[in-house]
Amino acid sequence: MHLDSAQEKMLRGDLGEARQFAMGIVSKVGDAVGADELVPIKSAHVLAHYSSLHDAGVEVLERFAESGGKFAVPTSVDPASIDLQNWKSFGIPEAYARQQFRLCDAYAKMGGMRCWTCVQYQVCNFPKEGDIVAWAESSAVVFANSVLGSRSNKITAGMDIACAILGLTPRFGMLLDENRRARVSFKLSLDGLTELDYRSIGFFVGRNAGPRVPFLAGLPPSVSSDQIKHLGAAAAAAGPVTMIHFPGITPGSKTVDEASGGDKVEEIDVTRSSLNDIESDLNQTSELPDLAAFGVPHLSVNELGELAKLLEGRKLKRGVKMYAYTSSQAYDMAERTGISSIIEKTGARMSQSTDAEISPLKALGFNTVLTNSAKLAEMVSSEGEIEVGYASQKEIIEKVTA
Amino acid sequence: MRPLLAKGMGLVMGSAAGEALPSHRAFTFAHGVDPSTGVVTDVRSDVRGLNVKGKVLFYPFGKGSTTASSWFLETVRRGNNPVAVVTEAVDLSAVIGSVMAKAVYGNEIPVMCGIQRSVYAGLKAGDEVFVDAGSGEVRSEG
Repeated sequence: MHLDSAQEKMLRGDLGEARQFAMGIVSKVGDAVGADELVPIKSAHVLAHYSSLHDAGVEVLERFAESGGKFAVPTSVDPASIDLQNWKSFGIPEAYARQQFRLCDAYAKMGGMRCWTCVQYQVCNFPKEGDIVAWAESSAVVFANSVLGSRSNKITAGMDIACAILGLTPRFGMLLDENRRARVSFKLSLDGLTELDYRSIGFFVGRNAGPRVPFLAGLPPSVSSDQIKHLGAAAAAAGPVTMIHFPGITPGSKTVDEASGGDKVEEIDVTRSSLNDIESDLNQTSELPDLAAFGVPHLSVNELGELAKLLEGRKLKRGVKMYAYTSSQAYDMAERTGISSIIEKTGARMSQSTDAEISPLKALGFNTVLTNSAKLAEMVSSEGEIEVGYASQKEIIEKVTA
Repeated sequence: MRPLLAKGMGLVMGSAAGEALPSHRAFTFAHGVDPSTGVVTDVRSDVRGLNVKGKVLFYPFGKGSTTASSWFLETVRRGNNPVAVVTEAVDLSAVIGSVMAKAVYGNEIPVMCGIQRSVYAGLKAGDEVFVDAGSGEVRSEG
């Protein structure tokens, strides 16, 4: 990969240790993936949660921060592993919280926006069509590429911080037209889609697309950006998907021919039986759960409102906890509009700035989790310690409340 | 020298020898490998229960969370990492994990792509494999 003279200087260390460390990583990754050069980014989104970064990640973030690293572009951050406001009342052990706060401090020192959400595109980070960004968070990368028409690779931990410090990313992969073309076409011929269907459709697409960029036809015009958010998150959890062409939504992808650049691509039907297979794969237990979890990715304030409507007048059964995970911004709006008092009256809680799949569920004593998030179901069951049920929000509420 | 099994493309340079751990499904270190042991925990993996430590890990492509590179890096910090990663399609999390491993802990873990599932279908877990990212060669008796 070609570096210009300013970038060479960074690599030599003339512009400080943090940029040298960052350029060392970014230039090697660029070489590995065959990038031709570094290009400027409009924004970054990075990871700083303890459950996935582990102690190695704490070392990396502190090394960047202590060597003078400062983010060169607006930078947002994924959820933390704890509710940063109310972690004590959720039973998080002190020692665990301490490691998370080390990551928070390192991130803040580098000048990032303290949003702690995986839906930064609903909160504080809004690239426009054509903008190049370097985002971590697989679900957000799908949203950026598929809905916003921005361009991002799925930048993974470590590289995310390096790109944010440099304000640059290697040009390869999803930054290039030829790699964004649809290579497989999914056709949905189902009416009356439920909330859960959107997530199961995403999971089916992710599992069957493999490394091919999918086109997905047949979503109703009424589809909301929240539904697309959950569909994309499920797809990215099931496979290497970084973009889905949605006709009528994705810029420049009105037809499969437009999305594929005219090439013939394999067609796959999404049927009721495809979705049933996904549901039975993700739904591994029908037991009463210890935890009913909503919001992976984070619920918007609209979704919190819908949840409140379903919960109104009900009471959570004894022995079950119900958490709705959301951003601090949606949390505040829910407080101001009375949504949170309805949710809390049932015995459920809203949890802000963290999310279920990255919080220490096992350490908190949860052995069975019931969720309508395909992403959460996939990730929690992957660790092999917690049993997961997968059902619609309505079914879950009927099961765990009276 | 062992016979040539296939030629792929080196992404992160280096060479390594070890027992093969071939997976034929989408693979991730994030929530899918326990860094404190190296054991694959993912219930949807065909190599669940086996250990990546010291292995030449084969899989077709990645999946899931962008945290995968930090889970990978933690296996390195704890000494439970694979000695090489070989894939069909580029898995950016393996590339970044390996580059980070070198930058932070000095470990050289070659990463290669372009090796089809059908090519390593004959490999069994435990077969001795040699990989060289420089020449792109994967050699094995298997």
